[in-house]
Amino acid sequence: MNAPFLDVCNLTLQYKTAGHLVTATYDVSFQAHESERLILLGPSGCGKSTILKAIGGYISPARGKIRLRGKEVTKPGADRGMVFQEFDQLLPWKSALENIVFAICETRPVPRSQAKDEAWELLRKVNLTSFANSYPHELSGGMKQRVAIARCLGLRSEIILMDEPFASLDALTRQKMQEELLNLWADTRCTLVFVTHSIDEAIILGSRIVLLSPHPGQVVAELNGVIAHLDEEKNAELAGLRARIARILFKDQCDYTI
Amino acid sequence: MTSPADAEAQISLTALRQEYERRVNAPELTQDVAVRLSLRERIWNITVVRKTTILIFMALCWQIYALNLQNELMLPSFTGTVTALLESMGNGELPRAIGTSLRVLAIAYASGVVVAGLITSLALSSRIGADFLETCTGMFNLLPAIALLPLALLWFGIGYASIIFVIIHSVTWPMTLNIYSGFTGVSKTLRMVGQNYELSAPAFICKLLIPAALPHILTGLKVGWAFSWRTLIASELVFGVSSGSGGIGWFIYEKKNQLEIATVFAALITLIIIGVLVENIVFKLIENKTVRKWGMSI
Repeated sequence: MNAPFLDVCNLTLQYKTAGHLVTATYDVSFQAHESERLILLGPSGCGKSTILKAIGGYISPARGKIRLRGKEVTKPGADRGMVFQEFDQLLPWKSALENIVFAICETRPVPRSQAKDEAWELLRKVNLTSFANSYPHELSGGMKQRVAIARCLGLRSEIILMDEPFASLDALTRQKMQEELLNLWADTRCTLVFVTHSIDEAIILGSRIVLLSPHPGQVVAELNGVIAHLDEEKNAELAGLRARIARILFKDQCDYTI
Repeated sequence: MTSPADAEAQISLTALRQEYERRVNAPELTQDVAVRLSLRERIWNITVVRKTTILIFMALCWQIYALNLQNELMLPSFTGTVTALLESMGNGELPRAIGTSLRVLAIAYASGVVVAGLITSLALSSRIGADFLETCTGMFNLLPAIALLPLALLWFGIGYASIIFVIIHSVTWPMTLNIYSGFTGVSKTLRMVGQNYELSAPAFICKLLIPAALPHILTGLKVGWAFSWRTLIASELVFGVSSGSGGIGWFIYEKKNQLEIATVFAALITLIIIGVLVENIVFKLIENKTVRKWGMSI
């Protein structure tokens, strides 16, 4: 294996409040390989979203470096497509289809007609063709997140960054979306960095799981995912992994909730 | 808090209850699902019909009261007013006044929008600019435009320049306040999406910030219109003629002096009609085509 695809190297992130300089993450290092589904898992306050935003280029590191294919990340860019947790990430004045077309046209030199074809294809992938001309406010939360994912795929990014995209969904929709995401991944083999605070979600989605501790965020473990078929959820191996993650995350504080 | 005995009781209770699964068929759509209302109800459900009924009722009351009063100087009848309206429309006097008023309004309104845009972009590009905006809107928004008229007369002389100055003042501040709060209110997520696509500064403003702030911009335009319209008529009433052509405010003032009270009423009705047209047709239409359709109305 030569240079890693995504290399997060001794990353320390800080932000200022009115009176303090807060260290969100301290000396975090991990690597993602191509076509990996890397999960950043940890309790709130472990700076996992902050790390993702730093990879996205929205926050510059206090110390350390982030490199994508050997190139240092300094600012936001379409090579790192981002899917957010918030439902308001879609442009409300554009239909589902137009949101995707806009993303394609603004980031790649593609004629509009071709962008439209591509957008249809992406909508088909997320099973939303019948809502192509609906505006975001007419879509349910799950549909909005599907459009956001489709839109992100439209960027043809090198890596896709997902910041708890399913956290605001109800449990049933969430499970369905996780399945769909895995199918999409099988289809595209994209490299994924996925932030979550749900152990179950991490186990279902991750091929590699980075565990973080809070205040400040530090890596406490990196585990390999178990080839997860949803119907084999009761599989002993999965249960073992879940127990192991829980033990690592909860080892200091027995009453810690994430 | 369940004791083992309770739990046991619970289990034995559930064991007694039969479980079942059933297949549900989509109910066939019959006429019973949606029954058509009677014609009378359907007509009465149309808002325009109900509101027109109110208008007719009010006109009737007016007519009856005026006929009883028999004093054309104090209260002309409804029919008298309509006649006066048709007459002053027919002889071109009222349309000329409307034209003058609207022309002045258009110039002043457009200038106000431009000034508001300039101040807003200044405020968005620097902190001191933002402070300037907040200070100015905080002060001048509270200063009734019409109070500036005497000063305006002193600075710009007798003529429409003074009125335009006063209207610009009345439009600029509320509009600035709304547009600015629209831009600053654009969600962080949307901004990050724009950065993600590496939009250039002009594209970021035109394709992301302006549409995202459109609900507030429209509110600003509406409030600006309301202020300017009232200020225009008020300042024309105080003073509003230059080289023989006056606006509607002046028209009202003049007709009152000539004791043509029915024509005064006709002009008032014209004011209402223009206001309704702009607010309920022009702005409504824009809103329906944009923010309402996008679910962004505030």
